[in-house]
Amino acid sequence: MVTYSPGMDDDRVFKALADPTRRHLLDRLFERDGRTLTELESELDMTRFGVMKHLRVLEEAGLVVARRQGREKLHHLNPVPLRLIHDRWIDKFTEHRVAALADLKARLEEESA
Amino acid sequence: MTTATAQTTQVYQLFIKATPEQIWEGITNPEFTARYFHQARLHITPERYLSQGPDGDTWGDGPVFEYDPPRRLVHEWRSLYDPDLAAEAPSRVSWDIEEQDDGTCLLTVTHDRLEGAPKTAASVSGAGWMGVLSGLKTLLETGEPLS
Repeated sequence: MVTYSPGMDDDRVFKALADPTRRHLLDRLFERDGRTLTELESELDMTRFGVMKHLRVLEEAGLVVARRQGREKLHHLNPVPLRLIHDRWIDKFTEHRVAALADLKARLEEESA
Repeated sequence: MTTATAQTTQVYQLFIKATPEQIWEGITNPEFTARYFHQARLHITPERYLSQGPDGDTWGDGPVFEYDPPRRLVHEWRSLYDPDLAAEAPSRVSWDIEEQDDGTCLLTVTHDRLEGAPKTAASVSGAGWMGVLSGLKTLLETGEPLS
């Protein structure tokens, strides 16, 4: 059983993704990573405070990692939590479907044999 | 699907329910790395980083810049497993292990100095590092590699 730290749990990731502005921020960081708040703010029709607030939610979910470089704080996209959700949720269900089809195939072939 | 030029500084971060010593072992024990790192055996000393493929081919070979068990490891990265990538300039990989107070550690892998290695940057980004780190987490937490 894979455990999740309260610092980076699924709830926070799903909540962070539930907002279109935050998904838009992730898309912008996917295009170009390591950006400052000022750069990100210039692409959004939103106050600096609003962008900061959204970035904080993304940071708390572990989807954005902020690193200091000299006087600047650069925001990086951290895709790992998404991958873990994929492994935990999406793989599980698609695997199940594939396994069910494989079972069906085996049973049908057995019947026709 | 939007595509992007692969980043020249890539940051990957995840929590792992393990001690810093177990994570360090997970990164530096070749028997262990073979189970999650594309079957590569990593031989890491304070001076040198050597990565060998399952057939003994050299997949990576370069200096270790920082060796501070079980907290921080920084080494050069060259993708010798592919001639196209091997021709590119070397880049750098840093592993940082920070113990939390809830029995987990925050592991941060930073792959940077990729300015001279755009093909390497593209090949390690996304599924590359994520697959490795997700595999390391699963192995440390469950003892089973990702199937």
